[in-house]
Amino acid sequence: MTNQSIRNTILIACALALAVIYLFPLYWMYVTAIKTSSEAFASPPIFIPTHAQWQNFVDVWQSRGMGSYLWNSLYIATLSVIVIAALGSGCAYVLARYRSVWIDVGLFLILMLQVLPSSLMVTPIFVGFSQLGILDYPRLATVLAISAKSMPFFVVLVRATFMSVPMELEEAALVDGNSRMGAFFHIVLPLARNGILVSAILIYMQAFGEFVYSKTFISDAMYQPASVGLNTFMGPNTVEWDKIMAYSSIYVTPILAVFVLLQRKIVSGLTSGALK
Amino acid sequence: MRNRLSTLWDGRGFDIILIGVPLAFLILISGAAILYNVIMSFQEVDMFSLGSIIRPFAGLENYKRILSDPQTWPIFGNTLIFVLGSIIGQFVLGFGLALFFQQKFPGSTYIRGLFLVSWVMPGLVAGAIWNWLLSGDFGVINYILIQLGVIDTQIFWRSNPDFALWSVIIANIWLGTSFNMILLSVGLSAIPQDLYEAAALDGAGPLRRFFTITLPMMRATIGALLSLGLIFTLQQFDLFASITNGGPNNASNVAQYWAWQLSFNEFDFAGGATVSVLMIVIVVVAAAFYVRSTRGEVRG
Repeated sequence: MTNQSIRNTILIACALALAVIYLFPLYWMYVTAIKTSSEAFASPPIFIPTHAQWQNFVDVWQSRGMGSYLWNSLYIATLSVIVIAALGSGCAYVLARYRSVWIDVGLFLILMLQVLPSSLMVTPIFVGFSQLGILDYPRLATVLAISAKSMPFFVVLVRATFMSVPMELEEAALVDGNSRMGAFFHIVLPLARNGILVSAILIYMQAFGEFVYSKTFISDAMYQPASVGLNTFMGPNTVEWDKIMAYSSIYVTPILAVFVLLQRKIVSGLTSGALK
Repeated sequence: MRNRLSTLWDGRGFDIILIGVPLAFLILISGAAILYNVIMSFQEVDMFSLGSIIRPFAGLENYKRILSDPQTWPIFGNTLIFVLGSIIGQFVLGFGLALFFQQKFPGSTYIRGLFLVSWVMPGLVAGAIWNWLLSGDFGVINYILIQLGVIDTQIFWRSNPDFALWSVIIANIWLGTSFNMILLSVGLSAIPQDLYEAAALDGAGPLRRFFTITLPMMRATIGALLSLGLIFTLQQFDLFASITNGGPNNASNVAQYWAWQLSFNEFDFAGGATVSVLMIVIVVVAAAFYVRSTRGEVRG
């Protein structure tokens, strides 16, 4: 072996070791989920289960009614992303295209709104929504609150994408007789499609795990998302850890799968936006 | 008239609609909520007056009540410990990992990206996992620490007042380290390599190069990252809800969780609004630092 390849092997081994240590909590979730209760509480703990069983997943899915919880998570996350992408893309485009004092003011406003913690905004939004009657539609109320909370982040990410679309292409389209609207929808949006999609997926993941607003606004278990369902399941003195980890695995695996598949794009979308 | 209408798709009007509608939406919900929050903190609000907009004016009564509450200062102290502990932990570990992954080798970017799963996971699931990892009797962390000889007996992380806050901090460090690592990696790769080569020729060792080249060149990134870290830790809610619930006896409670508890566990909406106002002021100051530190790039 050459020096170079020895060095690479050692570095890869170290990197994998670091990843294994860092991702151990995730491994522990999956391992606990396939243990029986007595194995979960074995001492010393069982690191590699020999009698893997899948019954926990079936049990938890049925006894906790996970179908309804996950459906609500999907419902809330999908609607939120639609609202955010529809409103946020145009906003990001204008903020990326022009330079002026007003644009700076708008950008400053967006950056400020990005930082407001949900748990501090939830009291006034709850009282306001209840006075307006919006709380009668609890999932819609949650969607509105999530949209307002996450749209600024989406705008910041997508703005970075629009900045990298060459303006000459749009100008050429205008010269060729396109209207502004035509140029936006036929030239600029398609070119920014990937960036918008990646940011939307990132927002979707966040909305899929959202908790504060759902817990506060949605009292009827029929409309609660999986995060609230997990919270109800845990209780203060819970002992059903194998079941809770099975619940968590079912909940989190789709998100992790999407992330691992799109990892490279998500990471680059995130880094181009967050520092700019 | 025709001209004015046609700007909607072919001129200024088009831009104004594109940016006006989302801004109106944001101002209608977030902006109004902030304003309403401030108003509520000066009112008497209880379960009965929840539905009415005109309520008795309370003056500074809510602020006096909150600030003289014996729980307030310990909780704000916890908030400070939580923020400092989380940021320092995330930043130091993230920087170490970023420096390691800066050594180019096959698969480095892919393995590095995998770390980010901690960041995209729902906070509540991360909390559930750490709750189980840190459990006193059967927690695997206690087992590992005892095997390594770090501790002699089990630590009851969540129920021991000395450790409860730290169990949330540990979980939060795990959650945020990867995000720090990714952003620091971006900053590191932006430093021109010939600076290091020149310094090495001049006889500067690795430590010297780190302090005279790496740190100064990363100042903007570090500034942005620390203020982002401050903002993210002040937003953390899910981990408290799933690990300690602020207990035992508020030993691990922080202001952003307490504000919610006041409103929705104790139905003291005015108290919740008051704590929120105090905290939002802090968050906005932190945000101003963040915006300042990225301002150079904002102007493009």
